[in-house]
Amino acid sequence: MKRYSWLSAAFLSVAVIGAGCGQEDGEEAGSEGSAQVEGEEDGELVVYSARNETFVNQFLDKFEEETGIEVQALHADDTAVNRIQEEANNVQADVFISNDVGALEHLRLQGLLDGYEADNIESIDEDFRAEDDSWVALSARTRVLMYNEDLVNEEDVPDSIAELADPEYAGQFAVTRGANGSMIGHVSALRQEWGDDQTVEWLSEVGDNAGIITDGHGDIREAVGTGEVEFGLVNNYYYHQQLEEPQNNNVGVVYPDQGDDEMGAVLNAAGIGLINDGPNRENAETFMDWALEEENQQEFSYESLEVPINPDIEPVDDAASIDEYKTHDMPLRELGEVWDDTLEVIEESGMDLEVR
Amino acid sequence: MSQRDRETEGSAQPTQIDNETKAKPNSNFSGFNHYGDHKPLYGIRGIRKYWFKLWGGRPPGPLLLFLGILTAIIMGVPLLYVVVRSFSAGAERWMNILDERIPGLLWNTLSLTVMVTVFAVILGVSLAWIVHRTDLPFKKAWQWLLALPLVIPPYIGAAVYIIILGPVGWASEFWGEGGALEGWFGGYPIDIYSFGGVFFVLTLFTFPYVFLITMASLRKMNRNYEEVARSQGLTTSQIFWKVNVPFLRPAIGAGAILVALYVLADFGAIAILRYTTFTAAIYYQIGSFDNLSATVLSVILIAITLVVLWLEGKTRKKNAYYQTSNSYKEPEALRLGKWKIPAILYVFTVFFLSVLVPILVLIYWTYIGIGEGAIDSDFWEYTWNSIRVAGYAAVACMLLAIPVIYLKYRYPSPITSVIEKLSYSGYALPGVIVALAIIFIFNEHIPWLYNTHYLIAFAFVIRFLPQAMQSGEASLSLVSPRIDEAARSLGHPPWKVMFKVVLPSIRPGILAGGALVFVSAIKELPATLLLRPPGFDTLAVRIWYETNESFYHYAAPAALVIILISLIPLRFLLKKY
Repeated sequence: MKRYSWLSAAFLSVAVIGAGCGQEDGEEAGSEGSAQVEGEEDGELVVYSARNETFVNQFLDKFEEETGIEVQALHADDTAVNRIQEEANNVQADVFISNDVGALEHLRLQGLLDGYEADNIESIDEDFRAEDDSWVALSARTRVLMYNEDLVNEEDVPDSIAELADPEYAGQFAVTRGANGSMIGHVSALRQEWGDDQTVEWLSEVGDNAGIITDGHGDIREAVGTGEVEFGLVNNYYYHQQLEEPQNNNVGVVYPDQGDDEMGAVLNAAGIGLINDGPNRENAETFMDWALEEENQQEFSYESLEVPINPDIEPVDDAASIDEYKTHDMPLRELGEVWDDTLEVIEESGMDLEVR
Repeated sequence: MSQRDRETEGSAQPTQIDNETKAKPNSNFSGFNHYGDHKPLYGIRGIRKYWFKLWGGRPPGPLLLFLGILTAIIMGVPLLYVVVRSFSAGAERWMNILDERIPGLLWNTLSLTVMVTVFAVILGVSLAWIVHRTDLPFKKAWQWLLALPLVIPPYIGAAVYIIILGPVGWASEFWGEGGALEGWFGGYPIDIYSFGGVFFVLTLFTFPYVFLITMASLRKMNRNYEEVARSQGLTTSQIFWKVNVPFLRPAIGAGAILVALYVLADFGAIAILRYTTFTAAIYYQIGSFDNLSATVLSVILIAITLVVLWLEGKTRKKNAYYQTSNSYKEPEALRLGKWKIPAILYVFTVFFLSVLVPILVLIYWTYIGIGEGAIDSDFWEYTWNSIRVAGYAAVACMLLAIPVIYLKYRYPSPITSVIEKLSYSGYALPGVIVALAIIFIFNEHIPWLYNTHYLIAFAFVIRFLPQAMQSGEASLSLVSPRIDEAARSLGHPPWKVMFKVVLPSIRPGILAGGALVFVSAIKELPATLLLRPPGFDTLAVRIWYETNESFYHYAAPAALVIILISLIPLRFLLKKY
């Protein structure tokens, strides 16, 4: 029996030390609770982020350094929106960093965001923030087709999104699954342009046609770069990211639907929203003010190589700024109103969960 | 891990103990029988009589019973909650999901489960047979070397094989550089992101379940049957199919069911390899749609799991084979002869693919990672977080397991068996479903605990308590109730008997159970992903994230740490089967 005593000792020590730490956590949580009454003294900010972790980490670190407020971040990908909805009666987060304006507006319409007029909010065009300024878009992205220049010429890449359903391209390209945040925004725009029936048809045909269906866009960037597929539907910054890769960087980009009578490339934006009734309201406001400082707007968009919405901020090298190509004319906040319906449309097409 | 191993193991003892437990109530408590026989009973006396009858005349102490029932409730409620919530999804959603979603998911899930199970059984049984019954060199070493893949979680295995065989992997690089290969055979032919890839990875890292259980069974197999068969002129292969395989049937069933349940519940490897089964679909549903659809899918997955358990139970009952326990002789090792080289090659290839390759790749990337500063203070924080939640779960499982198994072995009754069954529910419950239930329950009813890391530990307890129970049961089944009675007759109250007599004798089993829980918990992925509070990442979460972003040099050190920690209780694992 003696030989088991080390194991007992190990468990016991974990339990004791763990319990000790647990108590600390408990105290922290306790003071957090009282902070709601007294005002923020513990200096915490709970951030839910749907963006790629690498894009926001540096941004959040900078915020921590400059304000002394400790950031507790949850990088929850697309689960963030759902999580905020679930927690409506038990609000956990102070701030939401979204990669989709539709998601922000959708949350606002449900009363889950709270209006706050941050300093310098006028630097962002009214089209790119909420009516009550509860959310602000900071960086724009465009839905483009990125292709591998070793495998195809620019002419052989479809110049219209509708053509992705064409059997001619069967197995040659990658898309994300329908429920990906950027894809939801894109589908909303297509519904507005084409109507629901045609959109559902297009979606299910694309689902059959695509060579690869991924959970996120990072995989597509890699798949196109390495030549696993010839081209893929991505946000434009993935193209710029792949250009910066040390290898497999021979990629090109097509901005689709640029003809005179065509819809134009679909636009979306990433931004920040202030969550209603969050536990650290004052810090959340500090965050909004801080994020809207020009220097930080730049930081927000540069890490991901997106284009800043604020026209006064220089875009990253060789990123086409928004006015250089034709974009779809649907106001971004309308994405929020059709969010639920769009999910239903995607579900109907069977493209929602499929990954392959 | 296996509900059945205690049945396959030590078949001589249980019968003896059963007789004792059955005999005891009559001898000790026959005095209760005169309580108004043949008369209709009313009121308290009737209830009391019924209560005593339920327990075979000997009900347990209220505290013990309370603890048992509490455990059962904790374990069973999440399952019930998910089922109940699924009904609020409404008929229309149900019909919609059944029409649109189920056929594809069902095919994906079942085809993968069946294929992996079949091939894991083939690998496991053949390897166990070669290692145990032939004159393969270094037999003793192979016995534990081939169990090693168990310490490598399949999602880490999947990451490793993406590094090697993936579209940017080493193999495709070699293919491209060689030139000749590309010229002869066209483009790089291997698609790891496919059914084949998932099948390959899952089979490679789950076959040891079958291997270990088959091994244990082979060790108990008596030589005389084979001698009879041989004297009747049967060849070695005929003996294998007609004598060995039927005897191994229970072991194969037990191993197969572990593999099948594993495949049904696996999220990490399947999602990393871009495949979608029910479990992955539930995860995506929780992510982007609504939890109600997720509950509907969960209920169907639970149903599939139950069907698997039922099928296994049914086929098992049809056949009964017995070992004669007297005159046991160890079978002679078969001479491999000209098969020696192929056998060595076969065993080594499996070991190479399932252990050497992953470890070497991880060491290589860890080396690169250390150069890039992957091991920083954050890394140690993730490690500590992992150890903490897994430690809580292990301690809680050890404590909760004791009352339940004690009830089961000392106070058998219908109530006890309900408690036991509910406590085992986590055994067949994928982590995503447990997490879903916990999110529901705590967010809506116990908000002050919601979004704390204790919930992760709670999910682990539900998932892994059965492992602690099995391990404890194996110990307790060897302690005769007579020992308890002797202590009682010397005037010790029941609680004192528990602490002074029972606990010390089952301590090794309980601790081994805790160690198993600890290892399973540290590897667990989906529930951790769904339940982690802001700012709280564990090693498993980091591996998942970094692999998805192709930052292998960050994922590798974390994976190595998990594997090293998992090695610690391997001793118990080997002994268990």
